[in-house]
Amino acid sequence: MSEKVELKSILKDWRLHAVVLVIVILTEFIGQISIPVGPGAILLLPMLYALAIGFGLYFTPVIKKKQSKNAEPLIVMGVGVLIAKIGVVIGPQIEDLIAVGPALLLQELGNLGTILLALPVAIWLGMKRESVGMTHSIGREPNVGLIMDRYGFDSPEGRGVMTMYIFGTVFGAIFLGLIAGLLATVTPIHPLSFALASGVGSGSMMAAGSGTLIAAYPELESQIIALAGASNLISLATGLYVSMLIGLPLANKIYALMNRNKAGGE
Amino acid sequence: MMKKIMDWTLILLIFAGVTLLGNMIGYDIYSFGAVPGILVLIAIALLGMIMEEYIPVNIPAVGYIALIGIIISVPWFPGSAYIVDWTSQIELLAITTPILAYAGISIGRNWLDFKEMGWKSLIVAILVFIGTFLGSALIAEVVLRIQGII
Repeated sequence: MSEKVELKSILKDWRLHAVVLVIVILTEFIGQISIPVGPGAILLLPMLYALAIGFGLYFTPVIKKKQSKNAEPLIVMGVGVLIAKIGVVIGPQIEDLIAVGPALLLQELGNLGTILLALPVAIWLGMKRESVGMTHSIGREPNVGLIMDRYGFDSPEGRGVMTMYIFGTVFGAIFLGLIAGLLATVTPIHPLSFALASGVGSGSMMAAGSGTLIAAYPELESQIIALAGASNLISLATGLYVSMLIGLPLANKIYALMNRNKAGGE
Repeated sequence: MMKKIMDWTLILLIFAGVTLLGNMIGYDIYSFGAVPGILVLIAIALLGMIMEEYIPVNIPAVGYIALIGIIISVPWFPGSAYIVDWTSQIELLAITTPILAYAGISIGRNWLDFKEMGWKSLIVAILVFIGTFLGSALIAEVVLRIQGII
């Protein structure tokens, strides 16, 4: 874990702690707002208001550079607590996971499709290391944790994964709802395969993706729900390790390769 | 070494306090179980951080943390029923709110770097979704055919 900031100085930064406390009280008080759009919904969560308020405060005298710096290790540790929570959610369901069968674990590798499709485009668009953070995975909590841990929050990779995380949180459900319905009807791929694919490791995204599929294929409802739920659980349980062992190294390799070719060609 | 762990513990306790308060306000959980719940979670996080620091293998803390969380909450781990009961009283979203508050404060300093990504990140984000979704569906098609489900 990268520690450029003195831990003692963070502990004593009462201004930072007080500001965050007020932000949390305020945003949790407002609560969640869901705006239904087509097959999904735009989800506005307290965490998004918290992000916006925190960001806004940086440009006021309330937050100084010191607080902004001290906030970083707290993000990394907070993500650690978040991953612990995800761990204890998975544990009790371990028997269901085993019952689903190891064959479905393979399906998790499909999530690497993002590296093959999005990473080359990102590099082609002129993105630097941000592209690795953004495209090594679908950028849910475990992936944010991995990148924070490896590169820190204040890094191009960290910015990439945070951008993806925020985009996914706001638009993920509606977007997955839209493409699930569209792709299931225009491609020859079976709707049950798309049911498995909609389990990307986020409850709201899975609900939107499988919901659209059920609307299009009502006769497959129970199978769609079962497969999407199981796949979501597998993604949540293994996503971190797939990213850690395959996704991130693969993204780094492709990044290095493409940049070498670029340098050679120019 | 002890000093560092002490500091980590205190910082995690501050985070725990903020999370607990948000958990009460946002999700109406006033149960006493939430207190041991958040304490268990920060203990897991702390243990993972210590393991990353002192085990000379290149595994990130989150790798240890997730594994510890899973192991102590599987049904056959002694006392897991308590762990599951306590931690279930801490909402996932109550943990993410303070994290993103800190992130917002921190992003301000790097705002220009974020801005530089701009419209490109929109295109890339959409492709990340399509790539993951289509990639998963293609492999799922193969797996389901092999299993004879479709």
